[in-house]
Amino acid sequence: MFSNPLHKQKRISSRAFLNRQRKDYILALFFLLPTFYVLFKTYIFPIYQSFIWSFFKYNLMENTDTSFVGIRNYSDILQSTEFWVSMKRTIYFTGVSVFLELIFGFFCALLLNEIFKGRIIFRVIIIIPWALLTLVNGLLWKYIYQPGYGAFTQLLRFLHIIDPNSNPVWLSNSDNIINFVILSDVWKCTPFITLILLAGMQSISGNLYEAAMIDGAGFWAKIRLITIPQLLPSIIIAIVLRTMGAFKVYDILTVFTGDPTTSVSYLTFNNAFRYFYLGNASAMAWISTLFMLLLIIIYIRILKRNTE
Amino acid sequence: MNHIKTEVHNSPNVNGTIDVKERIKKALFQPKGNNIIPPIYLWIGLCALTVFTLTPFIYLVLSSVTMKSELINGVIFTKNPTFENYINIFKGGGGSGFVKAIKNSVYVSVLTTFFSLGIGVFAAYALARIKFPFRMTSLFCILAMQLLPSISIVVPFYMMMRDGIQIKLPFTDLILYHSPPLLDTIWALILAYTTFSLPFVIWLLAGYFQTIPKELEEAAFIDGCSRFTSIIKVILPIAAPGIAATALFTFLGSWDEFMFANAFTQTYESKTLPVVIREFMGKHSIDWGFMTAGGIIASLPPLIISILLYRYIIGGMVAGSIKE
Repeated sequence: MFSNPLHKQKRISSRAFLNRQRKDYILALFFLLPTFYVLFKTYIFPIYQSFIWSFFKYNLMENTDTSFVGIRNYSDILQSTEFWVSMKRTIYFTGVSVFLELIFGFFCALLLNEIFKGRIIFRVIIIIPWALLTLVNGLLWKYIYQPGYGAFTQLLRFLHIIDPNSNPVWLSNSDNIINFVILSDVWKCTPFITLILLAGMQSISGNLYEAAMIDGAGFWAKIRLITIPQLLPSIIIAIVLRTMGAFKVYDILTVFTGDPTTSVSYLTFNNAFRYFYLGNASAMAWISTLFMLLLIIIYIRILKRNTE
Repeated sequence: MNHIKTEVHNSPNVNGTIDVKERIKKALFQPKGNNIIPPIYLWIGLCALTVFTLTPFIYLVLSSVTMKSELINGVIFTKNPTFENYINIFKGGGGSGFVKAIKNSVYVSVLTTFFSLGIGVFAAYALARIKFPFRMTSLFCILAMQLLPSISIVVPFYMMMRDGIQIKLPFTDLILYHSPPLLDTIWALILAYTTFSLPFVIWLLAGYFQTIPKELEEAAFIDGCSRFTSIIKVILPIAAPGIAATALFTFLGSWDEFMFANAFTQTYESKTLPVVIREFMGKHSIDWGFMTAGGIIASLPPLIISILLYRYIIGGMVAGSIKE
């Protein structure tokens, strides 16, 4: 008999390892089960249900039977001018506000990443707009845009940009309203992008800038050659998060205007909870979901191309 | 760096005035230390930033201590500031509604944070620390959920709340529990917000857990800790700042949410602050002092929390962006 004690030991430990692994699988399943259950129950199933409803005529208020209508909800929506107007405004809003927030946020982050006295105070100041309730932000800016006594009018009169006796109504039509909403959104959400970019900038090594300085690179060259390429992952995250946030704009609009065609979310919400056209609203929600997914795929493509 | 410094020292002092001019020029236009922005532009930028950020906020605060009669005449800096607007908010029937809304907001935000972290911590641990089949797929699915717009589930969610939630025994039609209709209760909101925060919570927490060195946990296993005790004794204390940041984001998100709250609440029994503030706009259409005061009270908790816990917010942002 030459049973090797060492060999035996090894066999036992590998069995223990297998045992441990099996235990780990069970534990992982056990840990994930509540999450999967909740998400299935309150996320996946509802989404599936709204997909089914989007093919039905399902009006809660009319007391008529629900009936299968095929893709009629979708074709109705795609043919309605209301939908396209709101879609155009949402895209315009999302594009312009995310672009402005990115530009301003980038320069704010650049400023706040420098070393100077009292930096923490400035960093805390920029959090204030971000911490205000979205709805209060809407209220504040609607107040600022009030004709006559609103601060916006008063400021323009003070600076002699408009005639002291003139009294323009800023929030007169929905196309104008979008521009003013963009201004208020930029005020509130630029800090968010600033914070994300600031977090990204902190991981850029100072050596890179030093090396660039020795090579005689100026400010813009440093930004173009070091900051932007190094910051790209953070920039992409900021853009994706803000695009998703801006695309579902609803809160501010309800404060500014009663016109639901100012955004797709507003229109969908109104169809669902004002008229209770649940089938139609589900279809509309699905169209914006698909649009969102398309947008994200495009972003990821761009990201991949840039990193390669 | 050194290279430049020696150059400054060696520059010949031909003329006193030129030297002073040069120095001022250097002080203004030469970035200090590792900075890349010259001081003068830095401070111009900071001033502009402060003005644009604070002016609307100060205007909000000033208006809230000004009476309606003055505001309508365009008074910005009032000579007799008053807290009457703040007092009026808490007066009468509307006042008790407002207090109830504050309570609802607190309950909804706290419970949402509690539930989503309570469930999310374990899922995040499993995804970050345990190797098992379909780990990446699960993580990816959870991340993907975060990307869908909330409007896509608001309708089916509404119907689910209207009919009450059923918990069935899996794979059978046996109903274990059927809740009463949840519309117009805070539970509808808590459930909705938990659903939406969960993917986000797991995403952030998994990122934090991955940064904890494996050796620490292995040491705990050798000491005879099980997975569960190692979570409590090793992982949670080390990841505490990350958990705090995640809790903070969840809390702020629930405090701010409006769309679901607007759809699911009908009475003061369940209305949260954003919904009540929105109603001010209808009822007190031109009493801006009143409305701004209400807005400030509603924004106070997020403002205080994010200023005091600023460090954790930044920490959360760093973790979130490192993840990708």
